[in-house]
Amino acid sequence: MILRISVGLVYAFLLLPMVIVVLAAFNAGNYFTFPPQGFSLKWFANFFNRREFMQALWLSTEVAFWTALVSAVIGTAASIALVRGRFRGRDMLNAFVTSPLLLPQILTGVALLQFYTLLNMHASYGALLIGHIVVTTPYVIRTVTATLTHFDIALEEAAQSLGAHPVRAFFEVTLGVIKPGVVAGAIFAFAISFDNFTLSLFLTSSKLTPLPIELFAYLKYSFDPTAAAVSAFAIGVALVLVLGIARFMGLEEFTGF
Amino acid sequence: MTRTARLLLLGPYVLLLAVFFTAPIMLLLAISVSRQSFGQMDWTFTLHHYVRFFSDAYYVGVLGDTLMLGVIVTAVSLLLGYPLAYHLAVTRSRWKPLLIVFILSPLLVGIVIRCYGWMILLADRGLINATLAQHGWITKPLPLMYNKFGVTIALVHVFLPFMVLSLTGVLKRIDPQLVEASKTLGASPRRAFFEVTLPLSLPGILAGSLLVFSLAISSFVVPILLGGFKVHVLPMVVYEQVLSVFDWPFGAANAFVLLVISVALIAVYIKVTERALRGIV
Repeated sequence: MILRISVGLVYAFLLLPMVIVVLAAFNAGNYFTFPPQGFSLKWFANFFNRREFMQALWLSTEVAFWTALVSAVIGTAASIALVRGRFRGRDMLNAFVTSPLLLPQILTGVALLQFYTLLNMHASYGALLIGHIVVTTPYVIRTVTATLTHFDIALEEAAQSLGAHPVRAFFEVTLGVIKPGVVAGAIFAFAISFDNFTLSLFLTSSKLTPLPIELFAYLKYSFDPTAAAVSAFAIGVALVLVLGIARFMGLEEFTGF
Repeated sequence: MTRTARLLLLGPYVLLLAVFFTAPIMLLLAISVSRQSFGQMDWTFTLHHYVRFFSDAYYVGVLGDTLMLGVIVTAVSLLLGYPLAYHLAVTRSRWKPLLIVFILSPLLVGIVIRCYGWMILLADRGLINATLAQHGWITKPLPLMYNKFGVTIALVHVFLPFMVLSLTGVLKRIDPQLVEASKTLGASPRRAFFEVTLPLSLPGILAGSLLVFSLAISSFVVPILLGGFKVHVLPMVVYEQVLSVFDWPFGAANAFVLLVISVALIAVYIKVTERALRGIV
C-alpha cells in the first residue's frame, strides 16, 4: 500500500510540469492560477501568428526529418556489421559508435563549435544537421541491435539457397524482420533532434534557430503563455512519437526490459 | 560477412564520427593547451589555463558546487526512482504500457519545456506561491526558484527517467524464485527485500547513479533557467567563456576538466553494464 502511494506520487511528480504547461496554454489569463481563469486559444493563435516561431518550427521539423532518415540508414548499416561481423576490435568499435550518447552534449557542442569555426562552417544548415546525426545515430544502433540479436540468420540463408542474391535476401527478408527496430530508432532520432537544445545552442545563429532555441530566447524576455502554447504543441508531438514507437517496436523491447 | 561488406556498412558512420566527433574533441584538447592573443589562436604549448583554473578559489569552488549538486540529484533520483522501478518490474497491471509511456514521455519532451513547467509552478508569482498567498498562508513568496532548491527539483525531474530505466532493467532480471525461497525459509517480506532483492539490484543502482551523476554535472539549461545565474556550475562557466568572453583556451580547459570527470565515470558505467547493455539507456 505504501509502495503504491509513493509510486503514485512519483508519477505525479514526473507528469506535473507537463500537465501544468498544457493547462497554462489553454488558460485565458496572463498568469496561471488555480482554478484556471477560463478557456482560450489566443496563445496558440499568437504562436501560429509569430513568424519567428513558424520559421523555427519548420526548421526543426526539416532538420529532424533528415536526421532521422540519415541516422536510420547509416545506423542500421553499422549495427548489422557490428552484430554479424566476427572481427578483432569489435567490442572497441561497439563502444566507439555509442560514445556520442554517453559524452555530455555540452562538450560535443563546444568541441563542434570550435571545430566548425576554424573550418569556416559555423552556423550553417549542414553543420547543424551533421551535429544532430552524430548524436542520434547511436540510438538507432541500439534499437536495431536489439531486434537483430533475435533474428535467425537461417532465414536469410534459406532465401539465398533458394536462389536469391545476398542483397535481395537482405532487403526482402532481413529488413522485413528488423523493420520495427529501424522505425522505432528513426522515430526516437526524430524526437531527440526535434527537442535538442544543448547541442543546437552552439551550432545556431540568429538566422538559424530551431524551435527549442527560439523558445529559450523568448523565455528570457517574456513570461506570457505563448511559450506555453509552443510547449504544449511540442508535448503533443512527443506523445505522438511515443505512441509511434509503441506501435512499431513495443515499449518493453524498446526500453530493454 | 566479407571485409568489403563490413567496410561498406560501418564506413559511413565511423567516418562521420572520426571527422565530426573525435577530431573536434582532439581539437578541444589542443586549444586548451594553447595560447590566444587578441582573439586569435596562437598554437604554442602552455598549461596556463589549467593552472589558472585550479589556483583560482572561484573556479575550484564552482567545481565543488557542481559535484555536490550532482551527488544530491543522484541521491534524490535514486530514492524516488527505486520504488518506481521496483513497481514497474513486478507489476502485472494491464496499465503497464501506460506507465512506461509516463516514464518515457518526459524523456521526449524538450528540456526547455520541462524547465518552463517548473518555472510556472515555482516562480514568486507562480502557481504554488500564488495559491498559498491567496489563502493567506504566506505573506511573502517562498524562495522556491532562482536558488539551489529549484535547480535540484528540476534536475531530479529531468534525470529520474534514466535512473528508473537503469534500475528496472536489472530488477526485472532478478529471479522471483530467489525471493520466494527466502520467504519460504522464514524471512519477512522486508528482510527478503533488504537481503535478497536490494543486493542483487546493486549493479542497477550503480549504473543508474553513474549515469545520472554524469548527466547532472554537465547540465546547464536547468541551472540557467531555474537558477537565474545565481547558481554557478561548471558547464555555465564553459558556456560563458566560449560564447560571451570568447576566451576559447580557458573555456576549452574548463570543458576538458568536465570531460575527464565524465569519461572516468562512463568507463566505470560501461564496466558495470557490459552484460546488460541493451535497450535505450
